[in-house]
Amino acid sequence: MSGLVPVLIIVLAAIFGAVYMANVFRRYRRNIAVGGLVGAASATAGALLVMLPLNFCTFEPERQTIDRVFGFLLLAIGVGLVLWPVNWFIRQRFEGNPLFATQTQPGAFKGWLTPALLLLPTLAILAIFLYYPIFDTFSLSVLLARLGARRSVFVCVDNFTSLVTDPSYHNTVIITLFISFAIVIIGLALGLLVASMAYQPITGARIYRTLLIWPYAISPAVAGVIFLLLFNPAGGFINYVLSNTFGFSVPWLQDPTAARWAIIATSVWKSMGFNILFYIAGLQNVPNDLKESAAIDGANALQRFWYVTFPLLSPITFFLIITNMTYAFFETFATIDNLTRGGPLNATTTMMYRIYQIGFVNQDLGKAAAQSIVLFVMVIGLTVLQFRSTGSRVTYGA
Amino acid sequence: MQKRNRAFFLCLLLMGLVLAAPVAAQDEPIDVVAWFAFTDYRLDWLQEKAAAFNEQFPQYNVTIEGFANYEELFTSTTLAAEQNSLPAIIQYFEVATQDALDSGYFKPVAEAIGDREEINGVEVALDDIVQPASAYYTIGGQWSSMPFNTSSAIWFSDMNVLRAAGIEEPPATWGEVDAACEAIMALDNAPQYCWTFPNHGWFFEQWLGQQNALFANNDNGRSARATEVVFNSEAGLAVLEWLDDQAEKGYLYYSGTQGGGSWSTAQQPFLTGQVAMVAFSSSDTAPFTETGAENGLDVVASFLPYNEETGWTGNLIGGASLWLVDGLAPEVEDGALTFLLWLINTENAAEWHQVTGYIPIRESAVEMLTEAGWFEENPNFIVASEQLAQSEVTPATSGAVLGAFPAIRDIVTQAIDTVLLTDEDPATVLEQAAREANQTLEEYNLLNAPEE
Amino acid sequence: MTSVPTEKATQVRVAPRVQAVQRRSWIPKRWYAHVILWIACFLIGFPLIYAIIASTQNNAMIFSYRFTPGPYLARNWELAIVNRNLGNYMLNSTIVAVAVTVGKTVLSLLAGLAFVYFRFPGKWLVFGFVLLTLMMPTEILVVALFRLVINLGWGNTYLALIVPFLASATGAFLFRQHFSNIPAELSEAAQLDGATPLQFLWKVLVPLSWNTIGALAVIQFVYVWNMYLWPALIIQGQERQVVQLGLRTLMSDDVMTSYGPLMLGAVIASIPPVIVFLLLQKQFMSGFQLTRDK
Repeated sequence: MSGLVPVLIIVLAAIFGAVYMANVFRRYRRNIAVGGLVGAASATAGALLVMLPLNFCTFEPERQTIDRVFGFLLLAIGVGLVLWPVNWFIRQRFEGNPLFATQTQPGAFKGWLTPALLLLPTLAILAIFLYYPIFDTFSLSVLLARLGARRSVFVCVDNFTSLVTDPSYHNTVIITLFISFAIVIIGLALGLLVASMAYQPITGARIYRTLLIWPYAISPAVAGVIFLLLFNPAGGFINYVLSNTFGFSVPWLQDPTAARWAIIATSVWKSMGFNILFYIAGLQNVPNDLKESAAIDGANALQRFWYVTFPLLSPITFFLIITNMTYAFFETFATIDNLTRGGPLNATTTMMYRIYQIGFVNQDLGKAAAQSIVLFVMVIGLTVLQFRSTGSRVTYGA
Repeated sequence: MQKRNRAFFLCLLLMGLVLAAPVAAQDEPIDVVAWFAFTDYRLDWLQEKAAAFNEQFPQYNVTIEGFANYEELFTSTTLAAEQNSLPAIIQYFEVATQDALDSGYFKPVAEAIGDREEINGVEVALDDIVQPASAYYTIGGQWSSMPFNTSSAIWFSDMNVLRAAGIEEPPATWGEVDAACEAIMALDNAPQYCWTFPNHGWFFEQWLGQQNALFANNDNGRSARATEVVFNSEAGLAVLEWLDDQAEKGYLYYSGTQGGGSWSTAQQPFLTGQVAMVAFSSSDTAPFTETGAENGLDVVASFLPYNEETGWTGNLIGGASLWLVDGLAPEVEDGALTFLLWLINTENAAEWHQVTGYIPIRESAVEMLTEAGWFEENPNFIVASEQLAQSEVTPATSGAVLGAFPAIRDIVTQAIDTVLLTDEDPATVLEQAAREANQTLEEYNLLNAPEE
Repeated sequence: MTSVPTEKATQVRVAPRVQAVQRRSWIPKRWYAHVILWIACFLIGFPLIYAIIASTQNNAMIFSYRFTPGPYLARNWELAIVNRNLGNYMLNSTIVAVAVTVGKTVLSLLAGLAFVYFRFPGKWLVFGFVLLTLMMPTEILVVALFRLVINLGWGNTYLALIVPFLASATGAFLFRQHFSNIPAELSEAAQLDGATPLQFLWKVLVPLSWNTIGALAVIQFVYVWNMYLWPALIIQGQERQVVQLGLRTLMSDDVMTSYGPLMLGAVIASIPPVIVFLLLQKQFMSGFQLTRDK
């Protein structure tokens, strides 16, 4: 796109950046003009970062409002992506923090060639097989592209905006969150219950533990295969038990709600070992004297657990929430593919399963890439959360 | 593309050299890999046949690899094509025909055969192929692929239950199905449900064709490339409304697991007496008849019931054909062709029919079976062939050819699912499905259609 | 944690509680824990036990719910291993899992060494570069990764299953964390002895790191052995397919799946990762500092 609109947009971004950084410089009593210049430059760079690849297509006159809104959103993200680190860096300088001062460890080896060689394979693989595909996913997401097709067509942000208006995609997001939360809540509650029994020094503790945690090594695909037999409509064992003891059976794989619970049950079973393992470890690290003193204070077992033990377990709980969420997002794929294939009525189609179906079964690469990016944004959110709460345990800055 | 082609030809050249050298030197057999969408007894049968073929033609080594279903094999083929790792022979289901033609992965078998009348002593007998199959698989007057497993949708009834309800003949129309169900469900020892079908888009296509209604424009994509689906017609709506009605009355058992279109979950309830009747592919006539008899059922096959208000024009074929991958080394291609022709020779065609229930693909096989009295003894096995033979040949009953048909069929399957599982209005569901299908088709044609 | 009383109170009143426990000792100690654990072990173990029993039966036996082993193990074995070539899939899975486990451990050791024992300019930048990959799961990149790997010409090869997984932030950070806890005197002594960094790694660090190596090995082996989506996309045909996908050839859509061979396949496919996990269980726990005595 050419003409006045792109210039206007860039100028708008630059003014925002200039005002913002000038204000930062003012607060630190530095030269406001320099601040404005730095801000304008970074904001311009940020705006160009997102808008050049798109060729400002979201602001073309024939585009709809939703595209324009999306364009401004992207603009904000692009500006923020550059302005935020620049701002952070400059503040650290102004406050005189010894930023990135290489920590001198006694006895450290010297030279840069050896570490470069040591790190080269790792960095090369990460760059080629993680960083590059990210960029490629972004560039695919603005195309109408099919697997094995002769051509591809630039479609601006249509692959994204169509998601906003697609009720079946909303449904997929809701299902993903539902399944994830159910797996996390049920899995952690049961895991904690069992672990609070198994961590105690009782007879046969070691054997119990081994018998409890082995499903960690079972694959989600195998879990799906085994539960396919257990949930089988033609007379799976679970329905056999249900009808013999309670007099009813559930169409596990034919009813949308039941199928969703079948996936949740299978996933909880599979991730149980992991949850128990980490809760046992966490419970063993809770100092006994705290519990004992609470007991003396008159707290009963449940109160002791809730007010003393559970808060002390919160780092482990948080870690398990994140790992279980990741499991629910990605690893459930194999279970779903073997147990329900996303059905019935897409009731078990998670975001990841949909990416596979759209991208590889229906061969629509562009839409699959756009959906990957939505999922990517959600994962970034999760990771940021993870770092915020475990920051104390991971030390940065080499 | 250009670069990949060059690399590909280089590979071919190398492959040719590698393969040619040992052949000349020590008679190493030439590998021919074939992908089939079977993992059950049919895969076992094919592997036995491949072993027999390898014995008869020691210069070749045919390997059969099985995939769980047509859809999975279709995906795998596209992915393998991207990786330049296609085998020699691929079994593609009928709805993938347009995609197969557009993809450029395959070479028309007619072109590969040329004017030869036999290859390695195996007769080229394409004029012996039965009419419904030749109608579907000759496109532009040329054999594009080798017919192999051709079926039609038919109806199986457990006559024990029907007779108990006072019904002597399997129902022929939707109305008769309804009446039969009313009688059956009123029985003291009534089955759980009256009937079922693998709620798969293929049956929608069948019921559409019966009413002489088109699935896609341009004569179902046969006079020109299809650019729009037209299944959201009165005929299409009639199908969905009938199914909705049957489900509401509690007659129709919902069989769809695993995203709909699951065949075994429609077959099981019938064989275990949960339902009295089932619409199914004739491909499984053998297991239906045999296992049914073992389980004490009196299984009778009949034509697929039709909408009496619009009448019966005919039914479509189903199943799959065998495609020859393009760009094979000449000796591999010949090996593949030899196997394809040998696999449908009269004896094998007859045996394949007897083992499964797919129609005998050759006239000579039909004759052979008739002479042996097979059809007299096993009347269920002639139903599909007769249903196809009696069908009037119109664009509607020839079946649709359109791009992205596997994805579009899936959209239709989803629509059937929605009608059966929710309270949504069939008309709305059908319109929505047509919209989605049209978008998919439009995008496919935009990107995949060759320049005119 | 507001309800935690003072230390003094604790010391004074411990004795009565001990007595209380002793008074009840005619009941089996913590009987409720045993009951709950028994139930938990049973529920967790049941699906696998069921699968093992089913792998010796045919469909008729499975659906008549007999819990005694049936006579069909040999037949199921024949179908799964001989006819459907499960052995080949197992071999492929083993090759890939071992290659990635060994390769990633080595690369992670090297990266950990560089991060902890070297001073070089831009270290924070490199560190950040590795750190950021924590939020890039391979799964969300599959579309692009697929295109990349086939353009490299690696479609349908072991390389496609191995190389992209040889490096990870988790591995590098695990060793970085572990090495920073090793006393600095060791590296000083090594330098005085004139040892090269690699000698130091091999002679000093590795012997001190077996637990961490074991922990990483378990995670990696289990992760790679259980991979599903990526091999489903990048490996077509059966020659190099892994066992998780190979199980699909034992499932049938049309006629009812023969569950005996399928369950046998599922059990066989689970043996290697379970064994690796159980063998290295101790290392796994202590590698993550999961035991009381770190």
